[in-house]
Amino acid sequence: MSKTILAVDDSGSLRQILSFSLKAAGYGVIEAVDGQDGLDKAKRQQVDMVLTDQNMPGMDGLSLIRALRKMKNYQSVPILMLTTESGDEMKAQGRAAGANGWLVKPFDPARLTEVVRKLIG
Amino acid sequence: MHSHETQISGLMNAQVVRLLSGVSVHGDQHLAEVEQDLVQMNMLLDEAIKKLYASFMAIHHAVELQQEALNDLQGGSMPVPEYAARFDALRGEINLHVGAAVTGLQFQDMTSQLIGRMAQHLAGLRGVFDALDSHDSTLPVSGDKALLEMLNHMSERVDARVSGLSGGVRSTVNQRHMESGDVELF
Repeated sequence: MSKTILAVDDSGSLRQILSFSLKAAGYGVIEAVDGQDGLDKAKRQQVDMVLTDQNMPGMDGLSLIRALRKMKNYQSVPILMLTTESGDEMKAQGRAAGANGWLVKPFDPARLTEVVRKLIG
Repeated sequence: MHSHETQISGLMNAQVVRLLSGVSVHGDQHLAEVEQDLVQMNMLLDEAIKKLYASFMAIHHAVELQQEALNDLQGGSMPVPEYAARFDALRGEINLHVGAAVTGLQFQDMTSQLIGRMAQHLAGLRGVFDALDSHDSTLPVSGDKALLEMLNHMSERVDARVSGLSGGVRSTVNQRHMESGDVELF
């Protein structure tokens, strides 16, 4: 059974691209339009990995990570930030919130798949 | 009486200068940010279009080669294992170009963030113009204290908008090229 990844991004085009790349690599994908939507979907269905943007209306990526890490069943699930933000300060905040890695957009699908495989197989 | 009018007139001149200066500084800040975002957006769009065009042409070429290989296969001019290797190589090549196209397609996400920031700056500029509105159909008589008060209120409103801008609208997009970004695992 394929592993499921929750892709959270307010950009519809980015979600499509992300979904296309991950599905082509054999993963199942659940899409969410912002942090709150991501949190709701993660509560409804246990996923194997979370990929989230940072700047989204309402709940942002860092707040989503903090909320997920408070949930027992998401304490060890890999969470990657996929964002246009590349500053060290933001990365440090991501790390402190519980992110496992930081990918700066635009992403290369081969590179993304490589990282995902490394984290969830 | 004459000296009182002179005093009001002097204060009024000072208020007009303060008001114009506030509008100029605030307007300039907003427009400079918009200008900077437009330049960045232009670069990103330019690179994205070039990248997408190159990927599209490369995929087209690889598909043509695949078709040729299929025709050769039907003609049976080469042993089957060699065809398999040829198809594998072509598949790998197509995947590579699709990957480059996927990177290029992400321009929309970045440019929409820049457009959002520009919209915030334009709203700020609109705020300055709103602050200049006296909300009154008739202006007080020149030299009157009421006019001085009105100018004073306008300046205060413009100043409030300027201090509201301090720190600006932070840019979340620093990319100036459509090359894929860094990956860091913690």
